[in-house]
Amino acid sequence: MDLFLQTLLNGLLIGGVIATFSIAFQLTFGVLHVIDFAVGAWVVLGGYLAYYMAAFLGIDGFLVMPMAFVLFGAIGYLMGPMIYNVRNSRTARPELMALALTFGIFTLLRGGMLTVWGFNTHSVPTALSGHSIMIGPVTVPLIRVAAASFAVLIAGGLFFFLFRTRYGLAIRATAENRQNAALMGVNIRRLSANVYGLYAGITAMSGVLMGGIYSVNPEIGLRYTLFAFFVAVLAGLGSLGGALVAALLLGVIEAFVATYGGASYSHLAIFATLFLVLLVSPRGILRRGL
Amino acid sequence: MAQTMKNRWAGLLLLVGILVVLALLPVLVNNYWLRVATGALMWAGLACSWNMLGGYAGYINFGHSAFFGIGAYATAILMGADFAVPFLATIPIGMIVTALFAVVIGAPTLRLRGAYFAIATWAFAEVLMQFATVVDFTGGTGGIGLPPFLNERFFYFAMFAAAVLTYFLTWLLFERSRFGLKVKALRDHEPAAEAMGINTSLVKLQTFVLSAVVASVFGSIFAYWVTFINPKSVFGGDITDQMVVMVLLGGLGSLWGPAIGGVALFFVNRLIWMYYGDTAFYIAILGAAIILVVLFLPNGIAGLFARRSGKSGSVLDTVLGRLLGSRQGGRS
Repeated sequence: MDLFLQTLLNGLLIGGVIATFSIAFQLTFGVLHVIDFAVGAWVVLGGYLAYYMAAFLGIDGFLVMPMAFVLFGAIGYLMGPMIYNVRNSRTARPELMALALTFGIFTLLRGGMLTVWGFNTHSVPTALSGHSIMIGPVTVPLIRVAAASFAVLIAGGLFFFLFRTRYGLAIRATAENRQNAALMGVNIRRLSANVYGLYAGITAMSGVLMGGIYSVNPEIGLRYTLFAFFVAVLAGLGSLGGALVAALLLGVIEAFVATYGGASYSHLAIFATLFLVLLVSPRGILRRGL
Repeated sequence: MAQTMKNRWAGLLLLVGILVVLALLPVLVNNYWLRVATGALMWAGLACSWNMLGGYAGYINFGHSAFFGIGAYATAILMGADFAVPFLATIPIGMIVTALFAVVIGAPTLRLRGAYFAIATWAFAEVLMQFATVVDFTGGTGGIGLPPFLNERFFYFAMFAAAVLTYFLTWLLFERSRFGLKVKALRDHEPAAEAMGINTSLVKLQTFVLSAVVASVFGSIFAYWVTFINPKSVFGGDITDQMVVMVLLGGLGSLWGPAIGGVALFFVNRLIWMYYGDTAFYIAILGAAIILVVLFLPNGIAGLFARRSGKSGSVLDTVLGRLLGSRQGGRS
C-alpha cells in the first residue's frame, strides 16, 4: 500500500512537470497549427543549460530557470516567423511541410547535441538534490516536490496570462478562429512569433526541472516529444485544460508501469496506449480536439 | 511536339544507359564500392516505397521502418535453425506477413488526418521495436544472426532487381494507370475525390499495403546481406528519418526524386562515415538538409528540372526530358 501511494505521488509530481510543456505545446498547435517535433529538443537544451551553468559557474539549477526562459524564449521568437511562413506558404501541402520542418529542427538539434556533447549522461545539481521529506507513510524526494511546485507556478502564470490579460485574449481568439482574430486587428504573424517564443521558453524551463529530477542526454529528447504527443492525443490537439488532466494521467501510468512492470515496459505501455487511443477516439478521450 | 518526342527518346536512352552501367557494375568496381552501390540501390528502393504513400497519396508515414523490420525479421527467423527455409522462399512469406500487418494497421489509422496519422504510425513502429526487444523469438536486444552468405554480387543483383521492379511498378501504377489518378485525386482533395465516386478508403489502403510490402522485400534482402539484425538496426526511427529526408530532398511525389535523393544522401552518409566514423554528425546533416529543403527547395531536386513542366504527360518526360532540355536551352 505504501508502495502504491509512493508510486501514485511520484507519478502525479512528474505529471505536473510534463503538464507545463504539454500545455505550451498545445497552445502552439492552437495558434500556429503546427505539431512541433522539436519539443523534446527544447526540454533537453534547457537541461543542458542548467548543467553547464551549475558545472562551470556554480549556479543552482533553479536559478537558471529565468535565464533558460529568456534565452530560449528569444531563440523561439526568432524562429517563430520561419515556422509561420512555411505553415502559411503557397506550396502544395503546407501542413506536411511544416511537420517536416519541425522534424528537421528536431533532428538537427539532436545531431548537433550528440556531436558536441556526445552520448554521456549528466545530472543537474540543485540545492535540493538528495533530500527527501516524509508525507505520511511515503518518502518523497524534495526535488520532485519543488519541481512540481514550480511547474504549477508556471502553468498558473500561463493560464493567468491567457485568461486574464488582453494579449491572452488575443492569443485565445487566434487559436479559435484565425481569420476573425485578424479582422479584429490581431497581428497574427507577430503573435505567432511571440507564442512560439513563449512556448520554447516554458519548455526549456521545464527541461531544467526534468534535468534536476532525471538526468539529461541528447537522446532523451525523443522521450519528451513522445510525452507531448501522448498528452496531445489524449486531450485532443489544441485543448489546454485537457492537457493538464492527460499529463497527470501520463505521469501516473508511467510511474506504475515502471514500478510494477519494469522500466523496459514503460515505453511499450505509453506507445501502445497512444496508438489505441488514436484508433478508438481520434479526437482524444476528452473529445475536445480541434 | 517534336521536342517532346526527342526528349522522350533522350530520356529513354539515358535510362537504358544507367541500367547497362548498373548491370555491369560488378565487373567494373571492387567489392567495397559494390557494397556501397548495393546500399544505394536499397535506399533508392526504400525511398520510393515511402514516396508511394507520402508523395502520391499525401499521407506522411513516420513508422515505415516497421515494415522494413517485419521483412528483415521474417527472413531472419525463418532462415534460423528452427525452420531452415531457403532465402528466396522467405521473401514472399515476409511480404504476406507484412501485408497482413499493413491491412490491420492501415484500415483504422488511414482514417486519421495529417499529423494524427504521422503520430499513429510513429507509435506503431515504436511499439513493434519495443516488442521485438522484450520477446524471445526475436532474440531480444541481442538480436538474431543469419547463416552468412558472402557473395557480394548475389546481393548486388538482388537489390538491383528489387529496385528496378519497385520503380517499374511505381511508374506503371502511379504514372500510367487509373489507380495513380485516383491516388493523386485523393491527395489533392479528398472530399472531392469521394464525390467523384472514388472509394478513397480502399485506394489509401491499397497504397499503404503496397508501400509496406515493397519495404519488407528490401528488409528481407538486407537481413540476409548484413547477416545480423537487432531491433534498433531494422526498426529504428533513423531508418524512417532517412527515407523521409531522401524523398524530400529528391522531390515529394515524383517518380525519380526518391532515386536521386536516396543515392545522393547515401553517398553523403558513406563519405561522412569514411572521414569521421561516428554517425552523430550525420544526424545533424540530415536535420539541416530537411530544413534547407523545406525552406528553399519545397519541390526537391526533381522539382528543379521540372520547373518548366507543362503539358507533357509522364515524369520520364518532365524530369529526364527537362534535364536534357535545359542543357540545350543553356547552350543556345
